[in-house]
Amino acid sequence: MKSRTPARRYTVIGLVLTALMLFPVYWMLNVSLTPQQDMRKDPPDLLPLHPTFEGYKAVLDDQLPYLGTSLLIGLGTVALTLLLAAPAGYSLAKLRPRGGGALGLGLLIAQMIPGIVMAMGFYGIFLDFGLLNSWWGLIIADSTIAVPFGVMIFTAFMSGIPGELIAASRIDGAGTFRTFWSVVLPVSRNALVTVSLFSFLWAWSDFVFANTLDGGGDLRPITLGIYKYIGNNNQEWNAIMATAVVASVPAAVLLVLAQRYVAAGVTAGAVKD
Amino acid sequence: MIPTRRTLLAALAAVGTLASLTACGGGSGSSDSSSGKAGGTYTFWDPYPQFDASSAWGKLVTGCGTKAGVKLKRTAYDTTDLGNKALLAAQQGNAPDVMLVDNPVVSTLVEAGILNKTSDLGLDTKAIQKNIIGAGTIDNASYGVPIGANTLALYYNKKVLSAAGVDAASIKDWNSLTAALKKVKAAGKKGITFSAINTEEGSFQFLPWFWGAGGDLTKLNSARGVAALSLWKQWVDAGYAPKDVLQNTQTTSWQEFATGDYAFGENGTWQLGNAAKAGFDYGIINIPGQNGGSAPVPTGGEFVTVPVQKDTGRYDVSKKIVTCLTSDANLLPTDTTLQYVAPTAAVQAEQVKQNPKLKPWVDAVAAARGRTSGGLGTKYPTISQPMWTAVQAALSGSKSPQDALDTAQSSAQKG
Amino acid sequence: MTIARVDRPRRAASAAAGASGTDAESLRRRHRRRSRLTALAFVTPLLAYLAAFYLYPLYRNLDLSLRDYTVRSFVAGDAPFSGWDNFQKVLDDPTFGPAMRHTMVFTFVSIAFQYVIGLALAVFFNRHFRLAPTLRALFLIPWLLPLIVSASTWSWMFNSESGVVNYFLHFLGVSPVGWLTSPDWALTSVIVANIWIGIPFNLVILYSGLQNIPADLYEAAALDGASAWQQFRRITFPLLRPVSAITLLLGLVYTLKVFDLIWIMTKGGPGDASSTLATWSYQLGFGTLLPKFGPGAAVGNILILIALVFGLLYIRVQRRQEA
Repeated sequence: MKSRTPARRYTVIGLVLTALMLFPVYWMLNVSLTPQQDMRKDPPDLLPLHPTFEGYKAVLDDQLPYLGTSLLIGLGTVALTLLLAAPAGYSLAKLRPRGGGALGLGLLIAQMIPGIVMAMGFYGIFLDFGLLNSWWGLIIADSTIAVPFGVMIFTAFMSGIPGELIAASRIDGAGTFRTFWSVVLPVSRNALVTVSLFSFLWAWSDFVFANTLDGGGDLRPITLGIYKYIGNNNQEWNAIMATAVVASVPAAVLLVLAQRYVAAGVTAGAVKD
Repeated sequence: MIPTRRTLLAALAAVGTLASLTACGGGSGSSDSSSGKAGGTYTFWDPYPQFDASSAWGKLVTGCGTKAGVKLKRTAYDTTDLGNKALLAAQQGNAPDVMLVDNPVVSTLVEAGILNKTSDLGLDTKAIQKNIIGAGTIDNASYGVPIGANTLALYYNKKVLSAAGVDAASIKDWNSLTAALKKVKAAGKKGITFSAINTEEGSFQFLPWFWGAGGDLTKLNSARGVAALSLWKQWVDAGYAPKDVLQNTQTTSWQEFATGDYAFGENGTWQLGNAAKAGFDYGIINIPGQNGGSAPVPTGGEFVTVPVQKDTGRYDVSKKIVTCLTSDANLLPTDTTLQYVAPTAAVQAEQVKQNPKLKPWVDAVAAARGRTSGGLGTKYPTISQPMWTAVQAALSGSKSPQDALDTAQSSAQKG
Repeated sequence: MTIARVDRPRRAASAAAGASGTDAESLRRRHRRRSRLTALAFVTPLLAYLAAFYLYPLYRNLDLSLRDYTVRSFVAGDAPFSGWDNFQKVLDDPTFGPAMRHTMVFTFVSIAFQYVIGLALAVFFNRHFRLAPTLRALFLIPWLLPLIVSASTWSWMFNSESGVVNYFLHFLGVSPVGWLTSPDWALTSVIVANIWIGIPFNLVILYSGLQNIPADLYEAAALDGASAWQQFRRITFPLLRPVSAITLLLGLVYTLKVFDLIWIMTKGGPGDASSTLATWSYQLGFGTLLPKFGPGAAVGNILILIALVFGLLYIRVQRRQEA
């Protein structure tokens, strides 16, 4: 907080750090442009000197419907997660239901269970319920990654909301739900954005659930679109990496937008005044 | 108060809808499997996610359904998942009507009791080569019809070999192969690449050497087995083979060979299309046995199977579908797309006529063995896993070949 | 049923409103009851959801681990009860010790680095400099990539023959390292990749925590002549404690269950040099042609047990801090 002169130095350091961090991403880009026969060249080409756009061509020809499905599933997951997690988080933070502690612990443990351990049970349930190979089934499955997380984030943020704010709303004659809806939620915008962002990204990049539960669906997400390039004995890596690059673009746009929100969301600070 | 309440109800309604959705979903699921007879919907699974509905394979499947008078709903799964999915589906009484599975999985599914014998279905398998159908034969009964077969051989790079002064024809046994690798390395090129990954692929690639030494899968730690593993270890230690064979899948191993730096690559029939694109002259030799001759190679490829259904009335249509998929006329284009060798002599002849480069592969397939053949059945998986672990342990240097295989043998015996 | 349960407190509420002032004692009691039921109403959807999509799969998993399943009895559903046999088998397996050790090392080393790097970056980006928001957003990219892709990319970069990491080492005069093929390096390599993937997560949470620390605290501290380090130690770190706790906890949660990353990069190999409980469980249940569901599920349950221990530990630490 001294003066503004070191700011440029920070920018330089920031650029260097970012470059380091993003090197693997660059490498992915590089691979997506590498022709099949140069994939394992030793030493590798640091720059795509002989770029091939085969991968991208294949992706643009094949993958657009998958992107739409991913968007649908991502948004659906966000909606379902918020619907379940926000009220529960509020309840745990402020209404303190009986057994809340145990529920918190349960949520904690629920998150530590590897999806792959759950996969078999899931598959059985989905088969029973006829949810297999459907996009809404995948929304439910993807939300299981995000819901416990969402509840924890909401609980943590909402316990920071001063009791006076809620009491004031009560005095104004608002019921618990009204208080939740028009006082607590707006104040928790940071948490809302964070949880939405996370659940969208998890759903967007999920591969394990998609593969287990929606492997044969008519509407499949982009992570399964990759399968077009993974044959029984053969994988077209430049197309796979190109899919990843294309798949990252919408998510990146969203992330940048949401980021601005999070950065601008000084609301939580304002609450403390 | 009123808007509050309405919102809350809306939220609850949403949860309720979810429940009813799942409920009616369950209903439609069960009605799906009970609606039998002609004109219904039949389900079909295969491990070819790379082919979508508009591909030649997708169209063939749909066409065979139409011919049998039903709508055939095809679902493609990743090959490693297919076996487990089939077990789970069978557990829930929801197995597909027709299913294409990788050949070593057949014995597992038979063990689970979920496949029908081809003879019970009245399928004719006489024309199919004995050793190819062997992988799907348990106690003299076959449980599926092979759609095609593939196997392993050594691809070699003509330019690298001639630069090193090696004549491919001189490679008759392990010693001459190792000598060739030495010359290649001396000439500044790389020797051989293969896949020794810790999955079934690794075992698949190791077997030609294991069998080529006369190894017996029920005695992994015999001197012959140790000889085969020592050969690989010697290559890796001497730098004839790269260290990364330990993580190579057959695809990445191919990519290494495709760089043009390697003299040899152990790979399968399915790489022929890529070989043509590699941009250098290549040849193919059979994998040599330890003391000469061709080593027995394992068969790869999928079987068309008919899982057990509660409603046995469905088998008639399923049989028609299988017959259609495995008819000579359809096998030819299918095996051409998959780059497999056809399972019947008639179609093989046709394939060689179309593409003479397939000739050595047809011979190799004729000499190949099923991994689960010879009465091994479901014992094979319990041997294969310790075997690939032993290969990894020996090549990474954490154990000697003998120790590694001793450990493997004892855990294989435990089952 | 759900609706009935929710309706009751509502009716009670309006009744209470109408009867205000008549009987203070019963009003308070009603109040308490009402708030308890409202609290319940807010968590009920979550409870139903958890029961269907967590408890039931868990029950199935427990059942699997307590029976002697073969593929045949798996399909027929008549596997005999075998008590702790599967657990005994798993504990006696030579893979158990290494897998347990690798799980712990993988988890704690990953978390430690993710947190420290994430916090350092969060503090760094909290300073106002040109491009800070853009660069911070760029830092999140690793997180957007489907894991199958980022893990594959790392495994290419770490390739012992044509990997770019060894290529750089070559320029530094270091001889090539078998990152994924040597038993000494495989675990380190997957940890490095996992740290990389986890940094954005830590950065986002810790950064939004920093945003909540009122700026006037720093201004006051600066007026008192506190150095940057003192500000960090006296203000940032203590005030960030709740957020740190949740970050570390979530780090633990997500690291303990990492499976895909290791599976794609090494499949637990070479040998079992990088196998953790999660990959081993998968290896047993799905990794071979003949699945061993029972032992696979048993390993999964041991993993859940470990999660339980950590969860309780966390809650105890939290209680002690509050007290």
